[in-house]
Amino acid sequence: MTESKNEIKVTGKEEPKIGVYVCHCGINIAGVVDVVALKDYALTLPNVVLAREYKFMCSDNGQSLIKEDIEAGLINRVVVAACSPRMHEPTFRLVCKEAGLNQFLFNQANIREHATWVNMKDPEGAYEIAKDHIRMAVGKARKLLPLEVQKVSVEPSCLIIGGGIAGMNAAIDLSNEGYKVYLVERTPTIGGHMAQLDKTFPTMDCSACIITPRMVDVARAKNVEILTYSEVVEVDGYVGNFDVTIMKKPHYVDQEKCTACGACVESCPIVCGNEFDLGMATRKAIYIPFPQAVPGEYTIDMDHCIQCGICARPDVCEPDAIRYDDKPEYLKVKVGTIIIATGWDLYDPTELKQYGFGRYPNVITGLQMERLLSSFGPVLGKPVRPSDIKAPHSIAFLQCVGSRNFKEGGHTYCSRVCCMYATKQARQYKEKHPEADIYIFYMDIRAFGKGYEEFYESAQREYGINYIRGRIAEVYEGKENCIVIRAEDTILRKLIEIEVDMLVLSCGLEARADSDKISSLLSVQRSADGFFMEAHPKLRPVDTLTDGIFVAGVAQGPKDIPDTVAQAKGAASGAAALMAQGEVEIEPYFSVVIEHLCSGCRSCQSLCPFGAIDFDEFKKIAVVNPAKCKGCGTCVSACPSGAMIQNHFANLQLNEIINVAVKKSTIENGGK
Amino acid sequence: MSEYKWRYGLFLGCVIPNRYPMIERSIRDVFEELDAELLDLPGASCCPAPGVFRAFHIPTWLVIAARNISIAEELGVNPITGCNGCYGTLRDAWFDLEHNPEEKKHIQTILAKVGRTYKGNLEPKHIVQALYLDMGLNYLRDRIKYKFNDLKVGVHYGCHIVKPSDKRPWDGEYENPTFLDEIVELTGAKSIPYKDKFMCCGAGGAVRTAVKEVAADFTREKLTNMRDVGVDIIINCCPFCHLQLDLGQVEVNNFYKDIIGEPFKIPVIYITQLLGLAMGMDPNRLGLMKNHELTGVSPFTSIEPFLNLVKEQL
Repeated sequence: MTESKNEIKVTGKEEPKIGVYVCHCGINIAGVVDVVALKDYALTLPNVVLAREYKFMCSDNGQSLIKEDIEAGLINRVVVAACSPRMHEPTFRLVCKEAGLNQFLFNQANIREHATWVNMKDPEGAYEIAKDHIRMAVGKARKLLPLEVQKVSVEPSCLIIGGGIAGMNAAIDLSNEGYKVYLVERTPTIGGHMAQLDKTFPTMDCSACIITPRMVDVARAKNVEILTYSEVVEVDGYVGNFDVTIMKKPHYVDQEKCTACGACVESCPIVCGNEFDLGMATRKAIYIPFPQAVPGEYTIDMDHCIQCGICARPDVCEPDAIRYDDKPEYLKVKVGTIIIATGWDLYDPTELKQYGFGRYPNVITGLQMERLLSSFGPVLGKPVRPSDIKAPHSIAFLQCVGSRNFKEGGHTYCSRVCCMYATKQARQYKEKHPEADIYIFYMDIRAFGKGYEEFYESAQREYGINYIRGRIAEVYEGKENCIVIRAEDTILRKLIEIEVDMLVLSCGLEARADSDKISSLLSVQRSADGFFMEAHPKLRPVDTLTDGIFVAGVAQGPKDIPDTVAQAKGAASGAAALMAQGEVEIEPYFSVVIEHLCSGCRSCQSLCPFGAIDFDEFKKIAVVNPAKCKGCGTCVSACPSGAMIQNHFANLQLNEIINVAVKKSTIENGGK
Repeated sequence: MSEYKWRYGLFLGCVIPNRYPMIERSIRDVFEELDAELLDLPGASCCPAPGVFRAFHIPTWLVIAARNISIAEELGVNPITGCNGCYGTLRDAWFDLEHNPEEKKHIQTILAKVGRTYKGNLEPKHIVQALYLDMGLNYLRDRIKYKFNDLKVGVHYGCHIVKPSDKRPWDGEYENPTFLDEIVELTGAKSIPYKDKFMCCGAGGAVRTAVKEVAADFTREKLTNMRDVGVDIIINCCPFCHLQLDLGQVEVNNFYKDIIGEPFKIPVIYITQLLGLAMGMDPNRLGLMKNHELTGVSPFTSIEPFLNLVKEQL
């Protein structure tokens, strides 16, 4: 970073000299409004000493314009009227900094998103709005004060929430780079949904054979601390310095003493549905989720356990490891970065009554089919109909269940994996039962990945799977629990009714039901579909808008395994880049107390959502901790004495914006 | 104010007074027994029929529907109807006007010319909606005196009571609703699932008027599906469905005698007739027994088998 030697001293006392730069943004702005007229308008505003317009202000040449004007001593404040500050505020701040001007003497007017884009069809209206924005930006610029950025150190450790394929990959990468990783997983094992899958498309390699060694790698990685059966309950702090509280749920088994002999499982009298097999197989109340679970720790499920005491008997548990009175433990860790890799829930098709899920035993979900096909699943990879435990002679798959559904209760997005997983499952069944009839009802097949189209082609040509373009209208149960399907073949343009032994609903992926908890815990935004929102859809796909927090895998939006792993590596790399710097700059938007005005009423202290305000018992005044303050402004509006000021959003500055915004309309409406 | 727990304005429509006055009798008696007052709507006209009128001229359909609703508004009560078709018209028109302020204003101007004011503040209801949502199953259950435990019922909903789903009060439940079955099962009877339960009776959309054979073909399919699972009676909540399933049986037995085998003779009972009977009301008053004081048409398909079945419990 080249910083100018001749720094310009601005104290706020001298006369503001504002330069206004109107950007054409190609035709994004100039195609709607007259930018030259806007420039001329800017020149009429008080304290504006020069105004220019240029095709792209963010380009090298555009930036030079500003730099030259500052260095020539013509201006001491900068306003750029262009796009949203989200992308280019840092760009122009850097320009100011390089030219020797304090970067907080810059202000941006968003005349693209706020004026020309939304009012594309109303150029005159857009022009008026653009003028308002420029006037308000100049107004605030007039009152800006120089500020100093704060530098804070970054803790070289990362919290990863979710131990699926995304979380595990990010953990291994960060561990290899030498960073400490806390991998928090709420179920008793890592592995996530991928551990439930049988084979993966399009290569047909065995999912368990890929993921099980990966799970062991994570367990062996020297810098990774796996915290299974744990949940993040509190997150405090800010980029580089997050204070995280993790609750380790009680296993009711002393893991130090347990030798994993399994005698307790044999003796346990309680049989309940196994979540891992989606209720299609049973487990005991004391259990490990599946044989390859990592860590292979036994857990008592207290929702089902009756505390009969059999497993605790010394002749059953010789090492005496059962602890019915086990309590949750709380662990506090300090991390520099956080990666959200919480994954997904399967869409529940019960509400779509027309497909009969939950009413007819032989209607199952795609994930249940996956367990049926799995060689270590409930039927050892030989799928059967739930009603009579016999191999079905015909199977239909219905695509887009819950996805691409614009009716109430459905998701409008494409889940991106269902076309391929249905094709894969159909092929797997055909391999086992070549004589079986397989139908796939689809809207259109989305085979977009590497090798996917070829995979789909061969499913049709070589495997003879029948693809029928059209949705199923409704199903009903025929003789012997067969499923009668009514649908439309939109290519042949006729209504069809076929009877199959089993119907598989290719359900889509949806955001975790409790995503809102993580969202409020970490102050991370979610998009309308419920998934966590990336900072920029193209350029910052793994960052969130909260500094230091990254997102990976389906938590950000539906994606297949290769994309998930790629994003996990991206998130790990983003976190590592931040930690490698050792320190980060944080914006000085914290509140400050004007000591002589503070009466010590403590109103602000109880309202601060971040616990950033302390009380000085000696001076009897409030004190703001700049590192904890997030600049929300709650204390400013609450202070009865007007003793709180929020940097960069001071009352003086905001009032000026309001004044110039209102002043215009009174003049145009005839003075008063 | 009145001493009744609920008050509604009973919109009769056309089919009930012209063809099945006993349906009106049973609605009035059952609601009286349930502590709900049903006021008359003086000057009410045809709803007008949702299939026919709306298909020809929507503004005309809207004005007439709004006028009918405004009569209940004047009395300060929700309009209520025992007919799916009237329900379809009144509720759709009310819903459409509530979601289109401009159209609403236009309709208000037209109605003002005949001295009527339309406000749209009172939602039109179906009697089943009042029973299920306003009164609730627990309230009804407490008033049941007799249980018909061996009675197997084929429940027929009809179309307008559940669709279009966004204009109906069933909370998005339209593919496989159960509200009517739940009311039927309060009486101890068993609602038997049958194929294509939510299929049209055949009459709606002027099909009955235009091509009676096609309408009867629908009905034949429905009746066949019901007979396959062995229902004793058909319960419905719409006089037009009632007509098609009742008179329709005679037509089906006539048109399709070569393919149906045994002629159909399944008694068709309106929901408040069954409910009233279970509440211990007089079968004569409910129009279930031949009553010389009551004028109008007796059922085309005999309901004797039903009365024989429930006789012992009564």
